[in-house]
Amino acid sequence: MNGAALDIARRIRSGERTAASVLAETRALIEARDRALNCFTATTFERAEREAGAIDARRSRGESLPPLAGVPYAVKNLFDIAGVTTLAGAKVNADNPAAAADAYLVARMHEAGAVLVGALNMDEHAYGFTCENTHYGATRNPHDLARVSGGSSGGSAAAVAGDMVPVTLGSDTSGSIRVPASFCGVFGLKPTYGRLSRSSCFPFVDSLDHVGPLAGTVGDLAATYDALQGRDARDHACAQRDIECVGATPILPAGTRVGILGGWFQDWAGPAARSAVQMAAAALGARRWCELESAASARAAAFVITGAEGGALHREKLQARYAEFEPASRDRLVAGSLIPASWLIQAQRVRKMAHAEALELFGRFDVLLAAAAPDYAPLIGSESFTINDRTVPTRATLGVLTQPISCIGLPVCAAPLWPEGDGKGQPAVNMPMGVQLIAAPWREDLCLAAAAVLERAGIAGVRAATAAAGGGSASRQ
Amino acid sequence: MSDPADSLRSYVRAALELQGYEFSEERIAEMTLQFTRIESIARTLLPPAADADAKLDLGPAPVFRP
Repeated sequence: MNGAALDIARRIRSGERTAASVLAETRALIEARDRALNCFTATTFERAEREAGAIDARRSRGESLPPLAGVPYAVKNLFDIAGVTTLAGAKVNADNPAAAADAYLVARMHEAGAVLVGALNMDEHAYGFTCENTHYGATRNPHDLARVSGGSSGGSAAAVAGDMVPVTLGSDTSGSIRVPASFCGVFGLKPTYGRLSRSSCFPFVDSLDHVGPLAGTVGDLAATYDALQGRDARDHACAQRDIECVGATPILPAGTRVGILGGWFQDWAGPAARSAVQMAAAALGARRWCELESAASARAAAFVITGAEGGALHREKLQARYAEFEPASRDRLVAGSLIPASWLIQAQRVRKMAHAEALELFGRFDVLLAAAAPDYAPLIGSESFTINDRTVPTRATLGVLTQPISCIGLPVCAAPLWPEGDGKGQPAVNMPMGVQLIAAPWREDLCLAAAAVLERAGIAGVRAATAAAGGGSASRQ
Repeated sequence: MSDPADSLRSYVRAALELQGYEFSEERIAEMTLQFTRIESIARTLLPPAADADAKLDLGPAPVFRP
């Protein structure tokens, strides 16, 4: 196995390893494991050899190396990669010309010394929570190949959990980093809306789209997040803020007030999700409960905005090439394109109201805690599941706990816990269950520091993915 | 008063035509189902028509900024 990103960079910097040897090992891991997991839709090994060679040459010249020197990574296939067609999970994009240049974040990773090894599978056009892609196949969960990886950044989460790469990039419109991070047992960061540039990423819902990293350790996640920050006028939503580095070892300030979200966030949390929240609350010393009363409205607003903007974006291609769209989501997209403007406007008003309520909550708490998904990863092909005696459709409901938060743009770190049953007779399934660590806008540092507390307490972290092809991956916890 | 289900069916059919879509009856029925689901969720955001003072119905729709 390759190990954690920061460890790889340290070893390359010290001369203990070369970037070329790390790349060779990564390539072997991908070739051995991806047949079973189906994370990669394209590999970029020629480019990776050039990038790794450049790092090794810089070291041999005695130059100082950037923070992620020689670290292999991959990106969800909605990020532009120069010379590769940006699929965004869709067959209708497969005949588009190759991207002429890298997306802003891919360029930032290159500057940081990271080595790009490929593009990763996703739900078509990022509209889904399971990564069951009809065109490119389902990405399977490395901890149980019969289960979904989660979506839409399923390839990004499974590639880290399957120990093929230590770091990936994904996107999150309604939970698409946090849900797969939860299902696959990795850390994921959805930054504040506007923090990271989305330029040259295939859009889905402009007013809700976020991009961010996934990783196997909090240190890797934080270091990657730091490398990705920067102003970019090409993304109209990208905030004109200075880079605010978190550092690789974020520390939660003494006296940080952590609140446990009840109400909606408990109603939609199954036994394992509640158990994970209890474990995290105990480690963080959180005892006070609170409510985001507008959570249901915020989720509904996200649903309407997603339908309207997503439907409008794809309307022309849906008219001409409907049959080539993903069967699981194409009718929802068409229906979304019919949403009246008055509903969309009302959804934006509700969003403002929910945002104001959340800011009030941050007068009393610094970090809010909630489950990242209602339950463990469902089985591939599952059409429904039952949460607290309610049977609900799988694809539409897996984001029920993440949508209210991304609707109002708050930063969230998803941290993977491993609850052992629910203490009430439910058997342990040895699957991960994520929690969301939520902070006020622009306080990604607090989200990451809270996740680091859970990691240091030994309750959050990646575990060996025994189901991954070839087996034998080892924990980086 | 018209049946809400009929109103939704009529709306979807007319809106599809206006937007330039051409679908079979089977597909229109499926899209009507999908739209009905969106409507049931959107309805929770809309103040009752009789409630003219509903707070949410006042003011401009903001451009979202965190």
